[in-house]
Amino acid sequence: MNRPELQPVVRLREPRVHWPLLIGVLGLMVMGGLFIASAVLARPGADQLPFHRTGWFRQIIWYALGLGVGTVAVWKDYRVLARWATVLYGLSLLLLVAVLIPGIGSTQGWGARRWIDLGPFQFQPSELAKLTFILAMADFLSRPKPELQRPAIFWRGLAMALVPFLLVLKEPDLGSSLVFLPVALVMMFVAGVPTRYLTRWVGAVAAVGLILVVDVLWLPAEWQPIKLEPYQKRRLMVYFGRPVIPRDATEQERIAALRAYRDAAYSVNQALISVGSGGLWGKGWRQGTQNALGYLPRGVAHNDFIFSVIAEESGFVGSMIVLALYATVLFSGLHIAAGARDLLGRLLATGIVAFLFVHVFINIGMHLRLVPVTGIPLPLLSYGGTSVLVTLLAAGLLHNVYTHRRTD
Amino acid sequence: MMEGFEHVPRVDARIRVLRWALGIALGILATGLWYVQIVSGERYASRARQQTYRTVRVPAVRGRILDRHGVVLADNRPSFQLVLYVEELRPLYDEVYSRLRRGRRLDAAGREVLRRQARYWVASNVVQELSRVIEMPLSLDERTFHRHHNQWPYRPLPLLEDAPREAVARFLEQAAFVPGVDLEVLPLRRYPHGSLAAHALGYLTRDDQARDPDEEAFNYSLPTYQGAVGVERGFDEALRGRPGLKSIVVNSLCYREAETVWRSATPGDHVYLTLDARLQAAVVRAFEPLGPYARGAAVVLDVENGDILAMASLPAFDPNEFMGPISAERWESWMNNPLFRPMFNRATQGAYPPGSIFKIVTALAAYDSGVLHPGNLDAELDNPGYYQLGRRRIDDTAPPGRYDFQRAFRRSSNTYFIHYGLEAGLEAIVRMGRRFFLGERTGLPTWQETKGYFPTVEDARRRWGRGNLANVCIGQEITMTPLQAAVLTAAIANGGRVVRPRLVERVEPAETNLGRRTRWFPSETRGELGVDREFLRVIREAMLSDTEDPEGTAYRAFHQRDGTPRLKRFRVGGKTGTAQVERRGRVVDHITWFVSFGPAEQPRYAVVVMVESGASGGGTCAPVACRIYQAIEQLEADATPPTLAMSR
Repeated sequence: MNRPELQPVVRLREPRVHWPLLIGVLGLMVMGGLFIASAVLARPGADQLPFHRTGWFRQIIWYALGLGVGTVAVWKDYRVLARWATVLYGLSLLLLVAVLIPGIGSTQGWGARRWIDLGPFQFQPSELAKLTFILAMADFLSRPKPELQRPAIFWRGLAMALVPFLLVLKEPDLGSSLVFLPVALVMMFVAGVPTRYLTRWVGAVAAVGLILVVDVLWLPAEWQPIKLEPYQKRRLMVYFGRPVIPRDATEQERIAALRAYRDAAYSVNQALISVGSGGLWGKGWRQGTQNALGYLPRGVAHNDFIFSVIAEESGFVGSMIVLALYATVLFSGLHIAAGARDLLGRLLATGIVAFLFVHVFINIGMHLRLVPVTGIPLPLLSYGGTSVLVTLLAAGLLHNVYTHRRTD
Repeated sequence: MMEGFEHVPRVDARIRVLRWALGIALGILATGLWYVQIVSGERYASRARQQTYRTVRVPAVRGRILDRHGVVLADNRPSFQLVLYVEELRPLYDEVYSRLRRGRRLDAAGREVLRRQARYWVASNVVQELSRVIEMPLSLDERTFHRHHNQWPYRPLPLLEDAPREAVARFLEQAAFVPGVDLEVLPLRRYPHGSLAAHALGYLTRDDQARDPDEEAFNYSLPTYQGAVGVERGFDEALRGRPGLKSIVVNSLCYREAETVWRSATPGDHVYLTLDARLQAAVVRAFEPLGPYARGAAVVLDVENGDILAMASLPAFDPNEFMGPISAERWESWMNNPLFRPMFNRATQGAYPPGSIFKIVTALAAYDSGVLHPGNLDAELDNPGYYQLGRRRIDDTAPPGRYDFQRAFRRSSNTYFIHYGLEAGLEAIVRMGRRFFLGERTGLPTWQETKGYFPTVEDARRRWGRGNLANVCIGQEITMTPLQAAVLTAAIANGGRVVRPRLVERVEPAETNLGRRTRWFPSETRGELGVDREFLRVIREAMLSDTEDPEGTAYRAFHQRDGTPRLKRFRVGGKTGTAQVERRGRVVDHITWFVSFGPAEQPRYAVVVMVESGASGGGTCAPVACRIYQAIEQLEADATPPTLAMSR
C-alpha cells in the first residue's frame, strides 16, 4: 500500500496549546494532590513517615512523570504512533496474559491478580491495555465508510474489545474490564458503523446484565448459569439493597450472609454519608470526620473513594468544581475530535473521551449509588501511578490530535 | 492497512450526539450530587454525627441530707476507681499482633482471631502488672474484655471499684508502669452515722440506666445511684441535681479521639430534715436495755407543729452497705430476715393493733356522743373482772372492783371501756377514729408508709357486729402505725388539733447563685377533733395519773423504787397498751405500746414507743419512753446551741 507523504502543516496563526484541556488537567491534578494529602495525612502514624514516603508526595512524582510522558506523547504525530497500534495492542494482551500467571502477576495482598511487581512500584497492565486498545481500535476503524458497513468489520471490532475484556475479567477486575465495551461502542458509533448493529449489541449487553442481576438476586445457587465471584455478587446485592439468603440456610448461615452483606454495604454507605454530610460548603480541607476517623475504609479512601473525601471536605461546591473540570476536559476532547484532521484522530479523541468519561461516571456514580461498586479509579484524582500515567498519556494523545489537527 | 480519509466534515452529527449524551450524563451526576449533598445533606450529616459522637451522662454530686440543726446525715465521699482505657493499649496490641503474626500465613478470619488473642494478652498483662503494683489480686475475664472492647472501646473498663486507699497510694507511686490504667474519682454516698435514722433517710441503689424524662439521649451513663426508699427516694429529684452531658468523638473502631463537655452537672439540693440527730441517737440508745435484737419503733413528735424530732425503727440497717456489693448470704440471713426485717420501717410501715392506747379514742367517742359527760365521770362502775357479752366473756386485766373514769383509764379497765364504747355505738367510735385520720396515710415523703386498718363508717357497719365493736373498744381488730399513734397523742396534748407529721423542713439549693430559692415545707394542721377541750384536759389528767399514781400502769417506769420520779423537770402523761396478736384464734404474740406527752403543764413532745413481743406496755415500753424524756431534758438543759460534734 502506498502512503501519502505527510503534509507540512502551517501553524503560525493557530494556537499550539489547547488551553481548556490543559487547565482542566492541571486543575484536576491540583485537586488530586490536595485531597490525597488530606486522605493519607489523616491516617494514624502519618506524621511519623518521612514526607517522601507519604502518598501525596508519591502522587506528585507520578504527576510529574505523567506530565513528561504526556508531553512526549504530544510530540510525535498520532498517525505515526498509530502504525504501532497493532504491535502495542498485542504487547498489552501479552501482559494481560502474563499478569494472570502467579509468578509474574502480583496480588498486592488483595484477592485479585492485577499487578506486575517492578520493584519500587507496581504496574497494572489493564490500565495500559485500555489505552493501547483505543489506539488499535482507532487504527482498525479508520477506513472508508463502505467498509464500515460490513458486518465482518463490526464483529472483528467487537472481538478486539472482547479479548482484553475477558482477560481483565479473569484477573478478576470487573470494573476495569467493563471499560472496554462502552469505549468500543462509542468509537464504532463515531466511525459510522450502522446503528442497527450497535443497538443490537447494546441490547445483548443489557440482556446479559439483566440475566446477571436475576441470577444473583433470585436464582438458587445451583441453577446460576453465570458464576460470579462472591464479592461481586455481594456488590450487586448492595447496589440493589437486597441481601440474598438461601431459603434453606441455617441460622448461622443466615447470620454469616447478613454480616457479609453488611460488610459489603459498609463502604458504600460510608461513602454516601461522606458525600452527603459535606453539604454545600463542606467541612473544610483535612476537616472531614468520615475520613479522619476511619469510617471511610483507609485502604480505599485515597484511591477509589477519593471523591468521598473531596465531597465531604469541600461540599457541593467542591464536587461541582471537580465535575466542571472533568466537563472541561471531556468537552475539549469532543471539540478536538470534531476538529481532527482525519477519522483516525477523531476516533482516537472520542475513544479517549469515552475512556475518561466511563471512569468518571462509574466512580462518581458509585458514590451516589447510581452504579454498583466497582474498583475503578477517578482519573487524576485517585492515588495510583499507573492510572495517573495512563490518564496523562491519554491526555497527551488527545492533545496530539489537536496539535496535528486540520489547519485549513 | 488503509489510511483514513484526509478530510472529515467539521461538525459530525454523531459527535453532536456524543456531546449531548455527555452533557446529559454529567447533568445526571450533578443532579445526583445536588440531591445527596443539598437535599439530603442534613440527613447524612446527622448520620455522620450519630456514628462519631457518643454522649455520656455525668451524674451530678448528690445533695446532702441534714438534720434540723445542720448535722450531716448523708453526704458524699470521693471513691477511687481504677479503670482501663482499652483503646490506649492500641500500639501494644499492634506490636504483639505483628510479633505473633511473623512468619505465618493467615486468612482474614485467622488474622482476626490472632488480633483478638493479642488484645487480650496485652490487656491481661496490664491487669497483672496493676495487680502487682497495688498488691491486690485482680483478674480480667476474657469474655468481659472482648465484649467491652467490641462494644464500648471508648469507655473505660472498671478494674477495681471503690479502691482502698493503700491501693490508690501504691498505684499513684508507680502509675508509670501500667499503661492505659487511670484513676477516676467518683462521688459516693456516705452516711456518717451509719444506721442512725437509716429508715427515714433510706438508701440508694445503683441504676446506670437512670434518666429524666426530658433528658437528651445518651449512650452511656457513669455510675448513677437512685434513691430506693426514704427521703433519698422521696426527694430523689432534688437531691440528684441535673446530670451533665459530655460527648466523645469516636473513630471507626470506636476508639476515643476527643471529648467535649456540653453541659456540666448541677449539684443536687440539700434536704434539711426536722429530725434532731442527737435526740434520734438518744432514742436508739433508749432501746439498748432491751437487747440487740429488740424489734420496735419510737417516734418523737413536736405536738404543736408536727415536726418529727426523732423516728427510729429497730433493728436498723446501715445504708452504707448498699454502696457496695451485699452478699447473698448477708441478705438472706439478716437484711431479709422475716423476723427481724431491718429494712422495714416499723414506725411507718408497721401496722399494729393499738390495744389499750385506743381507749383514748373510745373515751372521746363516748364523751362526744354524750354517753360520758361531766356528770358521770365520777360515777363508779362495778367491774366483776370481765365483761359479759352474750355468751362471750372478755377478761379484764384490771382487778375486779369499782371504777370511775380516771381509775378505769389508769388501770386500763377493759370492762369500763367496753361498756361505754358499746353504749356510744359503732358509728361514734369509727367517726372519732377517722377524725384522727386512722386508716389513712400521714403523707410522709418516704415511700414507706402503710395506712393501717381502720374502716370507714360504711365498711364498719357492714363488717362489724357487737362482738367486733367490743374488741375495737379496747384496740383489737384495728391497726395503726406508731407514727399515727404519735399524731393521735399529739392531738390530745395540743388541745384537739390533728397535725400532719413533717419530716422535711426545707430543700436548699447547693449554690445560692443559681437563682433558685429554698423550698420550705410549712407545718400543716390536718383537722380538728371538735371535742370539748375540757374533756381533753380530763384525758390528759387521766394520762398523767397513769405515770404518777402508784396504781398507774406506767408508774413503775417513771419512778424509782423509793417513789422519787426519774424525771427531774418533766411531768409526763401516758397510756400503756398491750395488744394481742392472734393467729387462728390463739394469741401468738404481744404488741406493747406506750404513748405519752410531756411536759404535762404545757405539752411540747409526744413520745410513742412500740415494741414487738414485749412483756407489757408499762413494763417494756414505758421505761424506754422515760429514757427518751430524760434525753430530752438533758438536751433542753444544754443551753449551748447544738454543735457539729455529731457530724464526724
